[in-house]
Amino acid sequence: MNGRTGSFLLGILAIATLPTPAQWLNYPTPGIPRTRDGKPNLTAPAPKVADGKPDLSGIWALTTGASGVRQLKPSEIKPWALELAKERQESLGKDSPAGHCLPDGPGHAGGLDRIVQTPPLILILHEDLTYRQIFLDGRELSKDPNPAWMGYSVGRWEGDTLVVESAGYNDRTWFEFGYPHTESLRITERIRRADFGHITVDVTYSDPGAYEKPWTAKREMQYRPDTELLEYVCAENEKDRVHLVGKLSDDGKNAVTVPLQILREYVGTYERQIPKGPQEIKVTVEEGQLTLSFAGDAPWRATAHSETTFTAFGTRYEFFKNDKGEVTHFLMIDGSGPWIADRKK
Amino acid sequence: MDKSGLPLCSQRLNFATPGIPRTAEGKPNLTAPAPHTGDGKPEFSGLWRPAPNPYAPYAVDVIQDPKDESIFLPAAEALFRKHLSDFRRDNPFSHCLPGGPLNMLMPGLHRIMQSPTLLALLYEFGSSYRQIFLDGRQLPKDPNPTWLGYSAGHWDGDTLVVETAGLNDRSWLDMAGHPHSEQLHVTERFRRIDIGHIQRQITFDDPQTLTMPLTFSIALNYAPDTEMLETICENERDSAHLVGNANSGFELNSTKLARYAGTYVFREGSARVAGFMDSTQKVVVIGGTLYLNSRPLVPQSETRFDSTGTTAEFIVDSNGTVTHLILSQTEGDAKYDRKPESGLGPGK
Repeated sequence: MNGRTGSFLLGILAIATLPTPAQWLNYPTPGIPRTRDGKPNLTAPAPKVADGKPDLSGIWALTTGASGVRQLKPSEIKPWALELAKERQESLGKDSPAGHCLPDGPGHAGGLDRIVQTPPLILILHEDLTYRQIFLDGRELSKDPNPAWMGYSVGRWEGDTLVVESAGYNDRTWFEFGYPHTESLRITERIRRADFGHITVDVTYSDPGAYEKPWTAKREMQYRPDTELLEYVCAENEKDRVHLVGKLSDDGKNAVTVPLQILREYVGTYERQIPKGPQEIKVTVEEGQLTLSFAGDAPWRATAHSETTFTAFGTRYEFFKNDKGEVTHFLMIDGSGPWIADRKK
Repeated sequence: MDKSGLPLCSQRLNFATPGIPRTAEGKPNLTAPAPHTGDGKPEFSGLWRPAPNPYAPYAVDVIQDPKDESIFLPAAEALFRKHLSDFRRDNPFSHCLPGGPLNMLMPGLHRIMQSPTLLALLYEFGSSYRQIFLDGRQLPKDPNPTWLGYSAGHWDGDTLVVETAGLNDRSWLDMAGHPHSEQLHVTERFRRIDIGHIQRQITFDDPQTLTMPLTFSIALNYAPDTEMLETICENERDSAHLVGNANSGFELNSTKLARYAGTYVFREGSARVAGFMDSTQKVVVIGGTLYLNSRPLVPQSETRFDSTGTTAEFIVDSNGTVTHLILSQTEGDAKYDRKPESGLGPGK
């Protein structure tokens, strides 16, 4: 699975090990604005194509890609969907599409994407060799399409904003934390290239089959100059699934109760460096449990195993103090390696 | 490949392609002149179907005449024989892996999407894509080998010439199991003859595998008013069960094999099998191996032979004369009559 179980915790984990770089990975992208010292100028104005529309072409990194489905209150989620999400969390995402080397579909939330733009068609190429086609040739979404992993997308320009409507997804892909969707899922993306280096996408999800109301999420994409997509073939190494036998509730078997005053010492804001850049992690205490929130995402509670060691969703957290007894950082240990999160305040 | 078994509920499949020239009665005019881009280059964008369809002969076997088998160097030929005897269990497609260079020969729709700096080639089969860079970059000198390799294109007049290298050696050249090395270099020449037709020439050059380059000419026909279907390989549960071996230990010498040589013509039975295998079968003996057209056969008994997924049974009359050939696949049996005037080998 090459670390793809990480996509179960969308946007939280990041792939740390990459193969030796091919030369194209260091190829200077031709035709992009650069500063005097040759560095890409990512705050230059957004480029336009011949017909005056913004040009979205380029290689982009999703800096926030989760659907944000967890912002919904339990009462806004159909009971079966909530139950299914809990089951999937209990098995630590063992049967996620990524675990079976299947496409992420609408749950796609990481890696590099290339956007290629022509007037009648925009392509989004993913590193796992799946792709999206967004038709701008005037066709409408089918009323009853054959459900597909990548769905069907049509787009239109509203001023400088590309509005993409997607539907026709199968019901086998997952949102983060195992939240399901049905074939009724519809996604509206409003895509705007703010400047040369940045795209913002306002996404609206609507799935009356699983959720009582639509919800929105904001996605940020950063231009990645002077690099190239790296082919990623999941099925090359799909040998791990049989070993995925852990349960979320296993965590509770070795749980200990840590006094509240010790937990409170850990409360603060931490930061770790992931390939996308710095990521902020807020640590709080809620109802007597240590609670972590990554990059503003909905928080989750950790299980205490000792006064300094905690676990959540298969990841271990170890807190460290300096000789003055102040908490300075924690280690985050998961399949993608140990990460250091330094305390900021 | 044959879509008759797939649901046809997507209305997109009957979508009228906008922006293509049409005749007075609204039919696509596929012989209109080839379109050009703003910068005067031929425009290849569109949905294309390789011909002949649905059976792409080179995808099945890059060797169409068994005499050409000797183009493979001994080590490569030995690996091919191994693939043959273990029922091609390492075929990347059986493991949901990409086809690599074989994708170039596969049937199924291709979408070409051309921008000034990049030509994207989307494959319906396997739902993967290739990026062909037109921004002037050179092929990397010692790239990390990948399934789809690295492709850069340049213009030779109105012909787009695409060079591809950096392929890993795990993909095959064809479904038959012919291997290649990481030295494989592919040259494709795309020429759009008119709106409805592209002539695509593909050359495989691999000094570690081939004594000389292999070249194929494939016609791509414009596919108007339709759309690609998604094909995701999602049932990779079978590879653990692929344990069979065709090497029964049964061997027949050339003299015994020679009595099967001749031409056989389809008479009755499964038209699907005959369509896939061809309605005429030439059986020859080359280098101690019996070939069915270009497929080598592995003997299972005096009269029964195997060629992955196909059983070939020769029927002998009471005089010892070979009169018929029956090809059996999962889809059914196809019965072939032996042509009596065959000059390719003795009747007995």
